[in-house]
Amino acid sequence: MIEVLIFATLNGLVTGLLLFMLASGLTLIFSMMGVLNFAHASFYMLGAYFAYSISLYLGFWPALIVAPVLVGLLGALIERYGLRRVHKSGHVAELIFTFGLAFLIEEAVQFFWGRATKDYRSPDLLDFPLFTLFGQNFPAYKAFMIFISIAIFIGLYFVLTRTRIGIIIQAAITHPHTVANLGHNVPLIFMAVFGVGTGLAGLAGVIAGPVLTTFPGMAMVLGSIVFVIVVIGGLGSLAGALVASLLIGLLQSYAIASDVGMPDLLAWLGISFERDHPLNDIWRLTLPQVAPILPYLLLVLVLIFRPSGLFGKRES
Amino acid sequence: MSILQLQGLHKQFGNTPIIRDVSLKIAAGEKHAIIGPNGAGKSTLFHLITGRHTVSSGSILFKGQPIHNRPPYEIARLGLARSFQVTNIFPLLSVFENIRCALLWSQGYKYSFWHLLGKAKALNTRTEELLVEIGLQERRNLPAGELAYAEQRALELGIAIASGAEMILLDEPVAGMSHSEAKNAVELINRVTAGKTLVMVEHDMNIVFDMADKITVLVYGEIIASDVPSKIRGNAKVQEAYLGEVVEEHSHA
Amino acid sequence: MLKYVSWALFAVALIVLPQIFTSILSVSILNQMCIAIVFALSYNMLLGQGGMLSFGHAVYFGLGGFMAVHALLAIENEQMMFSVTLIPLVGGLFGLCAALFIGSFSTHKAGTVFAMISLGVGELIAASSLILVSFFGGEAGVSGDRTYGPPFLGFDFAQNIEVYYLAAAWLFLATVCMYLFTQTPAGRMANAVRDNPERAEFIGYSARRVRFISFIFSGFFAGIAGGLFALNYEILTEQNLNAVTSGNVLLMAYIGGLGFFIGPIVGAIVLTLINSVLSNYTDLWLLYLGLMFVLTVMFLPRGLTGFLMMHRTPWHLGKLHLLAKPYAVTAVPGSIFVFSMVCIVEMSHSNEPTFNVFGFALDPSSFLSWGALIIIACLAFIALRRTLPSLRDAWDTANAIDTKPGVRP
Ligand SMILES: Nc1ncnc2c1ncn2[C@@H]1O[C@H](COP(=O)(O)OP(=O)(O)OP(=O)(O)O)[C@@H](O)[C@H]1O
Ligand SMILES: [Mg+2]
Repeated sequence: MIEVLIFATLNGLVTGLLLFMLASGLTLIFSMMGVLNFAHASFYMLGAYFAYSISLYLGFWPALIVAPVLVGLLGALIERYGLRRVHKSGHVAELIFTFGLAFLIEEAVQFFWGRATKDYRSPDLLDFPLFTLFGQNFPAYKAFMIFISIAIFIGLYFVLTRTRIGIIIQAAITHPHTVANLGHNVPLIFMAVFGVGTGLAGLAGVIAGPVLTTFPGMAMVLGSIVFVIVVIGGLGSLAGALVASLLIGLLQSYAIASDVGMPDLLAWLGISFERDHPLNDIWRLTLPQVAPILPYLLLVLVLIFRPSGLFGKRES
Repeated sequence: MSILQLQGLHKQFGNTPIIRDVSLKIAAGEKHAIIGPNGAGKSTLFHLITGRHTVSSGSILFKGQPIHNRPPYEIARLGLARSFQVTNIFPLLSVFENIRCALLWSQGYKYSFWHLLGKAKALNTRTEELLVEIGLQERRNLPAGELAYAEQRALELGIAIASGAEMILLDEPVAGMSHSEAKNAVELINRVTAGKTLVMVEHDMNIVFDMADKITVLVYGEIIASDVPSKIRGNAKVQEAYLGEVVEEHSHA
Repeated sequence: MLKYVSWALFAVALIVLPQIFTSILSVSILNQMCIAIVFALSYNMLLGQGGMLSFGHAVYFGLGGFMAVHALLAIENEQMMFSVTLIPLVGGLFGLCAALFIGSFSTHKAGTVFAMISLGVGELIAASSLILVSFFGGEAGVSGDRTYGPPFLGFDFAQNIEVYYLAAAWLFLATVCMYLFTQTPAGRMANAVRDNPERAEFIGYSARRVRFISFIFSGFFAGIAGGLFALNYEILTEQNLNAVTSGNVLLMAYIGGLGFFIGPIVGAIVLTLINSVLSNYTDLWLLYLGLMFVLTVMFLPRGLTGFLMMHRTPWHLGKLHLLAKPYAVTAVPGSIFVFSMVCIVEMSHSNEPTFNVFGFALDPSSFLSWGALIIIACLAFIALRRTLPSLRDAWDTANAIDTKPGVRP
């Protein structure tokens, strides 16, 4: 029991932190530009694929640096030549644009790399169990993921609170319209924020690719969950995104690791149903089965009862 | 009988009080002007009355009914219409549709999906009449967002008066208009609000003293005077707090 | 008058089309079109007319479709007895019920919040459909048979062409109803709320209620489309209510043009054709589709219909002919550019030793063919850019109103 709990917590932490790496970029972009970037997870996928290709020639470590930079540059270019054009047509048009972008990137990935899963592996250097608990291994690579994620947050926190650009960005988050009046080059800041945000997503892809497998559907799998997170956390709130990421990561991890379900609940309540009861499917549900839908359930509940999200101030 | 009654109204945004203990009675049929320096809280007062903002404390009675903290659409249905200081129209709809929409509820169509607008004779004639009245019949098929500024202001006014509400609140209806445009607008306002209650925020003192039966002066969220124009003109407090300054500004301009 | 003529033309087209395109394939494409048009129109009730961006519209389509298949099964098992011509109505009513429930909490706001709720609900239902096997049939889906019901005017709907005429009848009916809805107070207020929800509240309308009404009608018509799908394919799977289907209908409506009633019709027709024709020629068609969509959002925000409608002013001014030559001049390098780019893309993707274009055999392994294509593409692109300024000038001239008395400047 206890070992299940420990491993579920560790795995949940890994997922949660990974999700936050995506969610933080998404939040940053949203706070600055008001754009909910539907294609955010596609940049994450690009990160994994770029890193895969680079690692074939240069190995994992250079890829860890180069791939996110490339993704960020691509993101900045897309902001400059695509999004900015659409900006004048309003937020709905921007959302539709990024939706189309997600579609296009998925197809482009299939074009360049094919449909099959890529054999993108974690580096040999980290290919050993960090520790063994109750006969179960905890891979060093996962610890590395945790380490990278935390390092990124500390870096992000430092940049946002201690540097000039960070202070401008913060000002833009709370007073989106006033920053331009202060004479800062807002388009350039937008481009940079979009580049950094997508670069962060790319980095998440680089480190997640070996664990969550690198295949053309990987953006879809994570994309809507990341959306769920930023909405649950409250659009534009970094703290909310962190809490929601960990919440979802842990929730899913626990749900998958658990082996309880409706049958146990019914038995505990002393209720029983015939096998051919019309709602039989529901009476036989188990928690691991419903794990994939939990985030969406949570999203709908949050949006109904607290439309601005857990930490949201702005209702947009 | 007063048609609108504000009692001990307070409003604060965060910790900043914007409206402080405002009490006011407006009689049915009165033409009432609210004046005050920029940022005094005039628009906020309108927002409170029409349900755009909730009140922090105090009450608002319209025809004896409490209306504070009720949603705008319920207040509008009671017969209280308003215009906005910042033009607030339906930009993609044609000018004609803008006016027609403003008429729909008062003509009893509610949320109907079983009436065809094209077949609604009375509704369409009334819309045409209003278009003529606000002088936009030439522009009837143009999307409202493409109108010139003064035309948008006229439309803004048209939407407010369309429903024929008993009480109309106009927030700086002639701001930004040229002299002749403003004159036309004032005539229009006089015409369509005949027999109705009008509350108007306006910075142009000539118009205010011309039109108003009563003037309320709001400064820093407080009413410092509320009286007939002749008394307001002589009121020392008003002179000091407000009028002197404005008269000076006008003479410079 | 013009209105009645267009409706009559629409009806005639629906009747005549399968007589012109008689092959089995074309009838099946026509069936798809009927379904897609109803679905896209119902989507536009939300996005184009009501300003609600939905990422989960397939929910109502799929739920309606599943219910319709269950109705077919009930007829087959003789638990119920009614003509299968009414199956789309079953789908519609179920779509409406689902929309009643979901709309009760999701129409509170438009914009991003609405989009997110629709996404969440969509994912939730798509994922649940794999769990609730007795209604959704799991991965395999649920299938029925449309031929068991009592014959309708002697037809038992065993053949696709019979289904086509049934679908066309429903399409016509649904289109008329959706058009009429745009002409009602509720429909017009939906536009007003889309434009400015706040002001709508000050003229007596609850923005939420207005959205809700559009929302349930939209669910109803999406359900009808789902019912038509059930009749045509006799099977529904999880794919019919997942995000891909939802995305597809967004594409159709947007590419067609959101601001016009016929926009989604155009979009549905174009996309169905692309879907069925292009996919025969290349397995990269989704890539082209994605590119086309992104370019549409960037350059034609009002869609294909909007592009056509842009020409109304020159038409009224009698200056349309001024555009013919500049268009032709731009089209030549434009099509060469697109064509050579497509060749490059296809060639890099092909595994064949030779790649045939217009009788030329290109060798994907030789630098020569690559070089030639790339040079052609670059030249065409440069030429294309050269032609743009004169096209723009011609456009301005064609739209300029000559100052005549009585015409507003
Ligand atoms: N939603 C809000 N949140 C915070 N402060 C607000 C809000 N709305 C208005 N204020 C503040 O309340 C004060 C009064 O604003 P209001 O618009 O009512 O002034 P006004 O008398 O209409 O001025 P003007 O003549 O310029 O229109 C201003 O200082 C404004 O900054
Ligand atoms: Mg004001």
